[in-house]
Amino acid sequence: MAYRSEFVSVGGTRTHMIRGGRGTPLLVLHPEFGAGKWFPYHEGLAAQFHVLAPDHPGFGKTERPDWLRDIDDVVFHYVELLDALSLERVHVAGTSVGGWIAAELAVARPDRVGRLVLTAAAGIRVEGVTRFDVFINPIEETLLHLFHDPARAAQLVPSTPTVDIVVQAYREAGSLARLAWNPYLYNPKLERRLGRISAPTLILWGENDRFLPSEHAKAFVSRIPDARLHLIPDCGHLVPLEKTDEFVQEVRSFLSSDLQ
Amino acid sequence: MIQFYYFHLMPWPHLPDDFDRQNSSSWVTLSNRLYDPKRGHALYNEYLDELELAEQLGYDGLGVNEHHQSAYGTMPSPNLMAAALVRRTSRAKIAILGNALPLRDHPLRVAEEVAMLDVMSGGRIVSGFVRGIGCEYLSLGVNPTDSRERFYEAHNLILRAWTEDGPFSFEGKHYQVRYANVWPRPLQRPHPPIWLPSQGSNETIEWAAQHRYPFVSVFTSAAQSRRLVNEYKAAAELAGYSAPRSQIGCALPIYVAETDERARNEARPHIEWLFHRGLKIPPHFLLPPGYITENSLRKFIGTGLRHPSELSFEELDAGGYFLVGSARTIADRLADIHASLGFGIFIGAGRIGDMSHDKAVKSMELFAREVIPKLRGIGS
Repeated sequence: MAYRSEFVSVGGTRTHMIRGGRGTPLLVLHPEFGAGKWFPYHEGLAAQFHVLAPDHPGFGKTERPDWLRDIDDVVFHYVELLDALSLERVHVAGTSVGGWIAAELAVARPDRVGRLVLTAAAGIRVEGVTRFDVFINPIEETLLHLFHDPARAAQLVPSTPTVDIVVQAYREAGSLARLAWNPYLYNPKLERRLGRISAPTLILWGENDRFLPSEHAKAFVSRIPDARLHLIPDCGHLVPLEKTDEFVQEVRSFLSSDLQ
Repeated sequence: MIQFYYFHLMPWPHLPDDFDRQNSSSWVTLSNRLYDPKRGHALYNEYLDELELAEQLGYDGLGVNEHHQSAYGTMPSPNLMAAALVRRTSRAKIAILGNALPLRDHPLRVAEEVAMLDVMSGGRIVSGFVRGIGCEYLSLGVNPTDSRERFYEAHNLILRAWTEDGPFSFEGKHYQVRYANVWPRPLQRPHPPIWLPSQGSNETIEWAAQHRYPFVSVFTSAAQSRRLVNEYKAAAELAGYSAPRSQIGCALPIYVAETDERARNEARPHIEWLFHRGLKIPPHFLLPPGYITENSLRKFIGTGLRHPSELSFEELDAGGYFLVGSARTIADRLADIHASLGFGIFIGAGRIGDMSHDKAVKSMELFAREVIPKLRGIGS
């Protein structure tokens, strides 16, 4: 399917975005890894929706603005992106840090989110549950924690990275650190605010997530008023990359069904 | 005139025999169950004895520094060690090399403590400022992407606190205080000398030169020291002056014995401890996200520089990462380095790694008696 890469100026920030497909707009927010790429799961979603896949500020080909300090900054950036594209209301699907942004967006602007899909979303902390520390571990170790089947990691990292790839990865880790160094990958205020989410919400999680274990899924489900949970067996953290077909099917079916 | 400083890292030498196999680093994750406070008590006292002895032997100054949660250096608060030295010494300068500004919750605590030390010591304090190494951002939870901004901002606040009549208000991005008014004020006017010990990012060196702060190249190769000092001199020229020798410092591990051969044999295991165990730091500890700029990272990868922990004793020796030899050899080598760098400050780390107190004392006595007098007036 045809997709196109473009740059949109969002409040003066040059923002890279890939879009493809037709239909109801679906904002797809990427996880910590793989920004700026059009993966098969984008393709699968674009068969039914108009997929908008921007790179977060400081990731992929989007510049890192000086004002990027915490998750709020990204949330308002995306509100402004929707304004710039004249989109009143969209479906939003985000994975990991992208899921955190999606949840915050639905909290801040419930009026702009039609339906919400949170996949292995960061953003909250469950007491006593250990999360993988992406900032202290070498990339090889991180990759092992992102997938249940390590063979699936190959799609993220080339076997012989160039200097440019190493520098880009360091840049993105720095951008993530701006948002998530401390508190680590969550906003202490978010959990209480999840009750503001009015969108029907699907929580997707890999049963074998060793990055953000699925206990987090239960916490999201219990706090978001209209939420349902789907756990995917034999699957690690990056669900859309590990179980692409199942992910696409679940999301499409949720976004197009008649909800009660 | 060269100023000679005796510098201490206060390492934790008692690593287990299987350390090399079992531990990926002596930083961050090396469990503090390995620290035995009873042995620590004896060590701290030996270490302080050595620093006090250095004054008696005629060194111009004593150096302490800050490191956190590692076996490399057990001095998380250099100001505490400086305080211990202030009352037991009377003449030597006490150089804090340095306070890691971004790691502190509030810079005014540094301004206050250093001012206290300066007043207590009668104006003998040299106030080094550093960012702290990458590992320490992991150990203390400080966001490494804020490191540079916090460093510069903390410096600006401290400098104002030392030089302006308070109270004044300060509204920074990271620090805000409406009534900055530090009691006591430092004794030295306008303020204690500020030094920049560094392994050198371009940004830091340029900044130090612009402020006329002495730059001290720390534990790096002869070639790298020369490159850094040249950058510093060039930055000074751009700022409209020629950097005098008194603004250039060089810090190296040093061991002196009766003969070259004896010095090498006696120093080797301790040099290896320092570089292979004390500085065993994997890249993901050394460079947490945002700790260095993308330009510096690109340059770092581009030069293919190996971390000193990967170099053998012979390679470290050939690279000039340490000074080991008889008094005559050391004097010659220091004269060579002086010819190359033109330093006015030499900082020797004397008790290297797991070296014994006796060896450390022998080396510092030989250095003080046979090397310092020869080199004192070099270049002046």
